[in-house]
Amino acid sequence: MDADLLELDAGGASKDGSQSQGVYIYRPADKIKSSGERPTKRRKVARTNLPKAANFRPFVSLLNGDEVAKSIELRYRTYQKFWAAQEAKIKGILDDVDSEVLTNVLSFVRSTSPQTYDGCIPAALVTVGSNVSSLGRLLSRLNGQLTTTGEGGVIALESGDAPNLKTTLKNIIRFGITNTEGNEGYQSFVTDREGPRVLGYDLDLLADYVKRKEVKKLVLAFRDSEAFDPGILADLLSLLSSWLDRIPLTLIFGISTSVELFEGRLPRSTVALLRGRYFEIHEASNCVDRIYGRIQAEQDGKFWLGRNITGVLFEKPSDSFQTPEAFSRTVKYAYMSHFFANPLSVLLADDAATTIQHDKVCEALRNLPSFRRYCEDTLEEGCAEQVRKLLKDDAFLLEQSAQWVKSGQQKMRDIFKCVDMVQRALKKFNIVKKTSISDLSIRALAGELQTSASYEDVLRAIKTLDSDQMKLFAMMLPDTLTASSDFAQIQADFGALLQVYQGTEPLKSGYDKQHSVVATTVVQQRVKLSKAKVKLPKENAEFTKIIDRFHALLEACLEETLVRPNDLVLHEIFLLDMRNPLKEVFSPRPRFAVERALSSPFDYLISSPESSTVKVSAHQPAAAILYQLYLESGSLVNVHDLWQAFYAVFESEQGNGCDERTAMALFYRALSDLKALGMMKSSRKKVDHVSKTAWMGL
Amino acid sequence: MQPDTDEAPPVSTPKRPRTTDTPTNGAVNGHAAREKTPEGTPAKKIKSTPKKPTADTPATLKASGLKTPTHKNKAKALFSTPTKQTTAPDTPSKARNADRSAKKKSARLLLEQDDDEIWDGADRLAEEILQDDDETALQESTPATSATNGDGVIRSVEAGSEEPAAGDAAAPTPKRRAGRPKGAKNKRSPTPEGELPAHERYFFQNRAGPPRTSNSNLSKVNLLTHEEYFEKMAQWVDPFQEEKALLLDLHCRSFPQWDFEFDQGFNICLYGYGSKRRLLQEFADWQYRRHSPDSEDDDTATISPPSVIIVNGHTPGVSIRSIFATIVTAVLGADIPSKMGSQPQEVLELLQSSLNARDSDSPPITVLINSIDAPSLRRATNQALLARLAATPQINLLATADTPNVLLMWDLNLRDQFNFVFHDCTTFAPFDAEFDVVEEVSALLGRKGQRVGGKEGVEFVLKSLPENARNLYQLLLTELLSLSDEGHLSDDEGEEGGGGGARGEDAAAAAGIEFRALYQKAAEEFIASSEMMFRTLLKEFHDHQMITSRMDASGMEILGVPLAREEMEGVLEDLVLA
Repeated sequence: MDADLLELDAGGASKDGSQSQGVYIYRPADKIKSSGERPTKRRKVARTNLPKAANFRPFVSLLNGDEVAKSIELRYRTYQKFWAAQEAKIKGILDDVDSEVLTNVLSFVRSTSPQTYDGCIPAALVTVGSNVSSLGRLLSRLNGQLTTTGEGGVIALESGDAPNLKTTLKNIIRFGITNTEGNEGYQSFVTDREGPRVLGYDLDLLADYVKRKEVKKLVLAFRDSEAFDPGILADLLSLLSSWLDRIPLTLIFGISTSVELFEGRLPRSTVALLRGRYFEIHEASNCVDRIYGRIQAEQDGKFWLGRNITGVLFEKPSDSFQTPEAFSRTVKYAYMSHFFANPLSVLLADDAATTIQHDKVCEALRNLPSFRRYCEDTLEEGCAEQVRKLLKDDAFLLEQSAQWVKSGQQKMRDIFKCVDMVQRALKKFNIVKKTSISDLSIRALAGELQTSASYEDVLRAIKTLDSDQMKLFAMMLPDTLTASSDFAQIQADFGALLQVYQGTEPLKSGYDKQHSVVATTVVQQRVKLSKAKVKLPKENAEFTKIIDRFHALLEACLEETLVRPNDLVLHEIFLLDMRNPLKEVFSPRPRFAVERALSSPFDYLISSPESSTVKVSAHQPAAAILYQLYLESGSLVNVHDLWQAFYAVFESEQGNGCDERTAMALFYRALSDLKALGMMKSSRKKVDHVSKTAWMGL
Repeated sequence: MQPDTDEAPPVSTPKRPRTTDTPTNGAVNGHAAREKTPEGTPAKKIKSTPKKPTADTPATLKASGLKTPTHKNKAKALFSTPTKQTTAPDTPSKARNADRSAKKKSARLLLEQDDDEIWDGADRLAEEILQDDDETALQESTPATSATNGDGVIRSVEAGSEEPAAGDAAAPTPKRRAGRPKGAKNKRSPTPEGELPAHERYFFQNRAGPPRTSNSNLSKVNLLTHEEYFEKMAQWVDPFQEEKALLLDLHCRSFPQWDFEFDQGFNICLYGYGSKRRLLQEFADWQYRRHSPDSEDDDTATISPPSVIIVNGHTPGVSIRSIFATIVTAVLGADIPSKMGSQPQEVLELLQSSLNARDSDSPPITVLINSIDAPSLRRATNQALLARLAATPQINLLATADTPNVLLMWDLNLRDQFNFVFHDCTTFAPFDAEFDVVEEVSALLGRKGQRVGGKEGVEFVLKSLPENARNLYQLLLTELLSLSDEGHLSDDEGEEGGGGGARGEDAAAAAGIEFRALYQKAAEEFIASSEMMFRTLLKEFHDHQMITSRMDASGMEILGVPLAREEMEGVLEDLVLA
């Protein structure tokens, strides 16, 4: 494998020559020639970026390519800043989530030894459920802790590393040594030994390593223990247990199902070798919710994900398992796409005003749908002068839009504060068992929180608060509400009332159940139930009044705060609410794409309009014709008839001018395509028949 | 009669169908296929159906399923009697003969149809109803066509000749009812009428029962050879060149976006129909241009150009280890360790440690994998290794996937490691580089043996084998040929005769000889003294794909030769002469 040969091959590789090679290092065939062929668009991109090749900037010029480098860079920097902040938050949550388990496992590893367990191998059984990535995080952090203190290290095995006992042992030894010594260290370790040369799977190597490095704890982790072959696992464990006096091993098993099932798969004799404890890692969904809450509801937020994106984010975990990492990457992609593709996102930067090109940005601003709507509304109100100014005066527009963005951001923050309050209230008053911030957020982002059941529940619950709860609740309120003078007034009255009140029982409002009695009277031989309020003590009556006022104030405040984010002016800048790039990119439907390409090829091949109307015609690509004929057939397809039908399509449209052999060559190509796509396979049922293996739309 | 021959094929003349119908029948296949599309209007159906009652007496339908020109002979052979009956109804003996054979056939039909009946009672009912319609349509259309002639003489002629036809049609009606099926049903029913939801369609097409396809096969069709295929493809001009170029250019415009995604730690997976090699080539080019310092503009030539490694998944020899090894070469350049290790894992570790040892600001390695779902890379272990590669921080991986179900390869863990973003990159480009089209198709048709070298190849191998092996092969061929001769005869008698002589080859290939029997014979001929030896000889054949072996229903091993009958005869001849 010498580099020269590779280079030589690759260098001479034209479009044809390279295709026969399995793998090669790419070298452009001919720089000058091919750059002449480049379309102008791409050349421009390349040119704007090349002068700064040293400090690589991945964004492209937007606004029809007229965006200046400075503004592009600002956009990129803003993105980096925003995402770095969010990433730090996510990392904090992830660290926090497992920290408890980590300390437990760590103390388990440190405290146990074969001696304390009567010669059994200490084993930690960690159930991870669907939260598979958490074990990896746990192990790497454990490894970090152990290596920094010099106690030892973690050897993480996956089922793929254990095809047979020899390879497994070899891998264990290699992982163990390279973990601290590096690859070269391992090589030298194997070769520079006194005495007879040992093979790679001899545990003597590991024992030697343990002795030389004075390793106290060596953790061997089976990441997906269910996937290991039980036979190999049993052999391995019995072998390891006999080395236990020389290698201080602790085992960690990652278990996705349950401990009982795992135990059931192992022979008794093997189970008898182990002794240990059981740890549990929490489900991922909890973690995902927390991450979302942190990212969106945090009070320093400047950019939000809209209702549709939130929908996509939470649709996915309900369809399939998803790790918190994958979740945060999806969020990251949303951020990326906003700053990559929206030239106006530059306005989110702190020093935007100085760097942007005024004319271009203003033109873009005036094209925003929300701006247009605003203008129309203003016109209807009769403020034509204002609209004219906005349309004519760039400076005014910029100033105005900076304000709009600020106020819009503030409104978003307020919305999330309300969401937060509602959620906490729901939790506090035990109204519903499970509330997630994501559900409420979706409603709030759609502007529907006011009409939701949980919202009404909260308002109803407020009426029945007693004075202690009221005090607590007042703490949770968003400061938009607490800042108002009405609230201060209520608060003052409430305080005064409490001071006067001497009773030990907290004050109850008139809406409390205790204060209404049901009277039963018999009127004309019918039972009549009547609810009546008990006469309230004076303080309670006062309190009821306060509650009433408070309730009205809160309702009005929420009503005002919970606007539809998509109604805010210039929301396009600080709110990303497009379902599509995200959904397509993370939940692709390749099967649908292939089916669509074949069944209606003109969705992709933009062509003259008249050909797209005909269902099956010779004007379509051959594979598409064949696919459509194939769709019409039953589960067993006669290739001869298929060919006849295929040929007939050509024959009928091209008359005698069509060459049968060419048509057949096309037929061959189409047939091999369908085979490669896994849509048909040869059948033994009848001669020259193939069986159909894909049904469209399933 | 002059005007009669001139006019367009009328549906009502009874004599015509024999002559005119067969050619039109050739087109029926094409027509039928097109009529199955939703556009198939009722008008069209009526137009085509009247042919059936005259042309298809019960037995035709049975014998020649979907009528194609290849089956003309057969159909004629079976049908000669009824035709004669219509032309010369006055000879009673012939008629009785015909009746008897017809009776025999219909009895057989009834027997055979029996199991069909169970499956599609509903079908049959529908057929019957449709048939009634057909008949009325026929009645209606007859006067209509004759009326359009507007010529008294002709009408009388037609009316005269109509009578036997009507009688013919009336007599076998009950029979026709019973034996209507295969061909006609086939045309009508693979796709049920109307729009079915996808799952219903699946169950409809997969319902139990005998296969509902015609018996025609490709034996009469001259299949393409490699040479002819390439010749034709070279001449052919793609009508969609422009559109495809546009599509490619559209994808090329997202290169900066992909680059950004790489930069942010994502890997990319491209899916959609069409070969994406060209696109990857363009991307590699673009990457190279973009990240290498422009020597004209500034002289910071210290930065080396980015390393781009391209993997072609469909190349037969590609292995995971070779991929990793090439990447290591790209990273380390001249100072590659002499020994990388034989396991892909080891090479991967070497790669990862050498990547870690690099400067943090050195350019990342870009790995472009064409067809990550190619059969050789598809295995779970390979995907797991690739996922580890993808998870390595300084590696940017862009993979393309061709198959629709590519996502099934990766579980949650692998998806997490791959960290893919997906883009639909349908290119419609032909998979010329990926697949050997002719090879694929012959494999699909189960005719692979013919291509592996055919007669010449087999003879070449035989020459280099010892006497014993040659004798054994000779014995095998003799047995097979004599078997297929018998089969041939019985085929001719049987209903399923199909393509007659041409089918012999398939019959022979399909028939084969039982392992024990062949061993018995071989022992008798002193070719092999023990089963051990016998197997050794067979293994040699097997290695050269000169024999096929399969298990039959009772678990017996059946040996065959993947050659056409003529070729088998040729080989046998040469063996005997040698």
